[in-house]
Amino acid sequence: MTYLFQILNGIGLGMLYFLLAVGLSVIFGLLQFVNFAHGAFYMLGAYLAYAMVERGVSFWLALPLAGLAVAVLAAVTEAVLLRRVYKQAHTFHILATVGLALVVQEIVIIVWGPIGGNLAPPEGLSGIVILGDFVYPEYRLFVIAFTAVLAGALWWLLEGTRLGAIVRAGSESAEDMALLGYDTRRINTAVFGLGAGLAGLAGALAAPIRGVDPFMSVEALSVAFVVVVIGGMGSYAGALAAGLAVGIAQSLMATLWPEGARLMIYLGMAAIIVMMPRGLFGRA
Amino acid sequence: MLNRRAFLTQTALAAATLGAPPLLRGAAAAEGNLVVGAPLPMSGAFAANGKFAALGAALAAEEAGTVLGRKVVARDLDTEGKPATAARRVQEAMAEGTRLFAGGILSSEALVMGKEVMNGGGVFFTTAGADEITGKECNRGTFRWSVPTYGAIAQTVRPLIAQMPQAKRWYTITPQYVFGEGLLSAAKAVFQEKGIEHVGNSYHSLAEKEFSGYLTNAIAAKPDVLLILSFGSQSSDTLRQAVSFGLKKRMTIVLAWASGLEQFEALGPDLCEGIYFGAQYWHGVDTPLNTALVAKVRETRKFSPNYSFAGSYLLSKLLLDAAAKAGSTEGPAVTKALEGLTYAGLTGEEQIRAADHQVIKDYYLLKGKPKAKMADKDDFVDIVSSGKSFLSPEAAECKMT
Amino acid sequence: MTRLLERPLVHFALAAITVLVLPLVLRSGTLASEILIYGLAAAACNLLLGYTGLLSFGQGIFFGLGSYVSGLLLLRAGWPAPVMLPAVALVGAATATAVGWLSIRRQGVYFVMLTLAFSQLFYFLAYTFSDLTGGDNGLLNVPRPRLGGRALADPWSYYAYVAVLFLALFAVLQRVALSTFGRTLLAIRDNEARASAIGFPVRAFKVAAFAISGAVTALAGALHAMLIGVAPLSNIEYHTSETLLIMTIIGGGANLFASVLGAAFYLVAGDLLSAIWPRWLLLLGALLIAIALFMQRGLWGLVERAAALVTRAPAEGAVPEESRP
Repeated sequence: MTYLFQILNGIGLGMLYFLLAVGLSVIFGLLQFVNFAHGAFYMLGAYLAYAMVERGVSFWLALPLAGLAVAVLAAVTEAVLLRRVYKQAHTFHILATVGLALVVQEIVIIVWGPIGGNLAPPEGLSGIVILGDFVYPEYRLFVIAFTAVLAGALWWLLEGTRLGAIVRAGSESAEDMALLGYDTRRINTAVFGLGAGLAGLAGALAAPIRGVDPFMSVEALSVAFVVVVIGGMGSYAGALAAGLAVGIAQSLMATLWPEGARLMIYLGMAAIIVMMPRGLFGRA
Repeated sequence: MLNRRAFLTQTALAAATLGAPPLLRGAAAAEGNLVVGAPLPMSGAFAANGKFAALGAALAAEEAGTVLGRKVVARDLDTEGKPATAARRVQEAMAEGTRLFAGGILSSEALVMGKEVMNGGGVFFTTAGADEITGKECNRGTFRWSVPTYGAIAQTVRPLIAQMPQAKRWYTITPQYVFGEGLLSAAKAVFQEKGIEHVGNSYHSLAEKEFSGYLTNAIAAKPDVLLILSFGSQSSDTLRQAVSFGLKKRMTIVLAWASGLEQFEALGPDLCEGIYFGAQYWHGVDTPLNTALVAKVRETRKFSPNYSFAGSYLLSKLLLDAAAKAGSTEGPAVTKALEGLTYAGLTGEEQIRAADHQVIKDYYLLKGKPKAKMADKDDFVDIVSSGKSFLSPEAAECKMT
Repeated sequence: MTRLLERPLVHFALAAITVLVLPLVLRSGTLASEILIYGLAAAACNLLLGYTGLLSFGQGIFFGLGSYVSGLLLLRAGWPAPVMLPAVALVGAATATAVGWLSIRRQGVYFVMLTLAFSQLFYFLAYTFSDLTGGDNGLLNVPRPRLGGRALADPWSYYAYVAVLFLALFAVLQRVALSTFGRTLLAIRDNEARASAIGFPVRAFKVAAFAISGAVTALAGALHAMLIGVAPLSNIEYHTSETLLIMTIIGGGANLFASVLGAAFYLVAGDLLSAIWPRWLLLLGALLIAIALFMQRGLWGLVERAAALVTRAPAEGAVPEESRP
């Protein structure tokens, strides 16, 4: 029974990890861009939601607004700064985005202070559901449902629409896209904004569970990398499967062998890269 | 081809940073002042503590005014929360003649700085948590104000057992490293002595942020009391998630090592309500020195002193008083003036034990009160009980060198 | 003038001048020693990044391991420093061989991610085996080396000790970089397929580069532990790897002295800025973005442009190495 429950809990975690990682994955797939600032966008989403709710805005409004605001901010950053380093070696992608993450972190501290904050779950979802001997927060159930719907919408966006087709084609050959007359620069900006916006949304969703603090980006980034690498870079299905796998593994390990949880996750990540370099679902 | 202007601006920028040290050589060695070094994490994950502690040291320096005929200045040294940087900063400060140091919020930093300061002939006074500071790694140059894990457990777990004799089943959540182990073994000893059933423990790593898995374990064990032994933001995360799992209604929740006001502010009153917290300091403590400090800080700084602020203030004050009494800022003289000293401290009468340099002071059990009953925005808790519990220096394994 | 900057002897002379100048401009012997130690580790990082084109997040593993092994050998085994240091180099080389051998099976971003995973693995290993490492408290009481019967307690006397080792190891690294081996690494970096087609054992070369880099980085870690008297957990953290990479990139590619320059700049700027403004990391972040956008040759690129300005000769083309994957 405990195991069953840990699996349910793991699904809840995993869906959040999916949302966090899928943006990183899409950005990498299309732009071949290693984004070390992804965690910073997650944190920004959490802080924006927190700040809005603090000022009396309803959580239900703050949630989409936070995601949207992060998407716009990220798109602007991409158009002004990051676009210029795409052609450089990965070294400079990493340098620029590590720098960006530092800048965001320090700005957050300047604006909101070094102490974190707490964001209560929205009215009506602050209770718990009782299942036999176990309890589960309603808000976490909502997160599972919400991310599931969102995952469906994303699937449709990436697999069923013209944008999705362009994104997929673009990740194979940017030159072809340019020849076909698509404005790759605008597509790049849009996709970058979308990816970062998803991270922001994940941050806003996680805020009532985790609270906010200026260093939450570091943990988020490492989780996102693990998920993307295991699932395969650029793969939507991979991010979903790997997000759930990492979430469930983490939750189960809490019962089985908590000391080894992190060791196992990174060992798994290394083993996957060595044995299945494209990840579970990566395109060859 | 060659953009001369761009080049010149870049060079100017680089030269400005690289060329500055010789200029600073003169400026930093401000002659004649008595400097109290405050090695604190001003940047990095513990910047919040560093910020308040620096203000506390500054207030102590301001109050002291002139000591031994020299103007007192508190100088914060940014450790960045890293032992390596901490060691470098105190080495540098000592090379400039600073001998008195009050600070070191993190255990790893404090242990390293204690050694460095002793080797350099200075005195280091800290509030860090690791038992080793006045235990296995104790030394002549290091003093510690905060109560060790033994006392923290004794002053939180014992009164609660006495208050709730029917609560027989306790579950613990412990960070897996030396400090957490210290709290856990102290708690286990109390459980055994009092016939409490320890129904389970979950270890987590210092990198952990997600505690739902551990909470599920705790729920499965059906305890009467959940004892959280993590500290800092991890204890906040654990508590926040425990409350969201509805554990507040199912069991008593105790956080044995809380940071006090700064933590309550981050959590908010709704989360804190009904939770028991163990703490080193609370601004509501009714002692002459504390009442005066709180009034002064509220008036001049517009906030209530928290643990970081108050601790740092008191440490700096003690060092300066001792230096004045000893007539010197040199380590051995100040150490001698501090050893065995009894004084009216923030928590009442406090004494510096000579054998291990541990300050014997009260530890507090606090309980979060409902928002409606808070007298002001900082009035988060009531004091349930307080008292002094300490191992003997021999039992703490201190061999003074 | 620009030609002069390509001469290896000039680079060694610059390293020697750095050693002599630091005591004149810095008041802290500890900071000066730290600059040389990180300069050495960054130069070792450059052997992988600049010369071989391998962006490894694993350098912190070797740095931290060097700290731990030196501390354990000095404290538990009671070895004197001159015996301990070669052993540390060996352990560093062996570990780097293993990590390198596994990591180079993948390329590009996958290589980066693999080194990242290893760096996290070693961190959690160090964290878990706290009996050996001291866990979060660190391995305390690491002694300074002794010379003529007394420990080098004074910051500047330890600086002299570090300086001698720094120059010796810098010379070794430079020999490696200039040898046929080093030129082959550059060829591999520029066109791996071609190097492989010509018949170079590309993998063996990459692993060898890892081993040398790991040995030198571990030595730097040992010197660092003796400097601060502790082998802290933070030395093996991901953050150390990141810092070493940043120093190397700030300095500039495929040039060992540039890395020393990068380390010096990073540490001195951090030291100055943190004294002025606790939020100095904001400026560091902005600087990193600026370097990625406008100064990809790093500080060394600036030096070259300065030289070019002086001689009115174009800097472009004067330097064949350019850091491209």
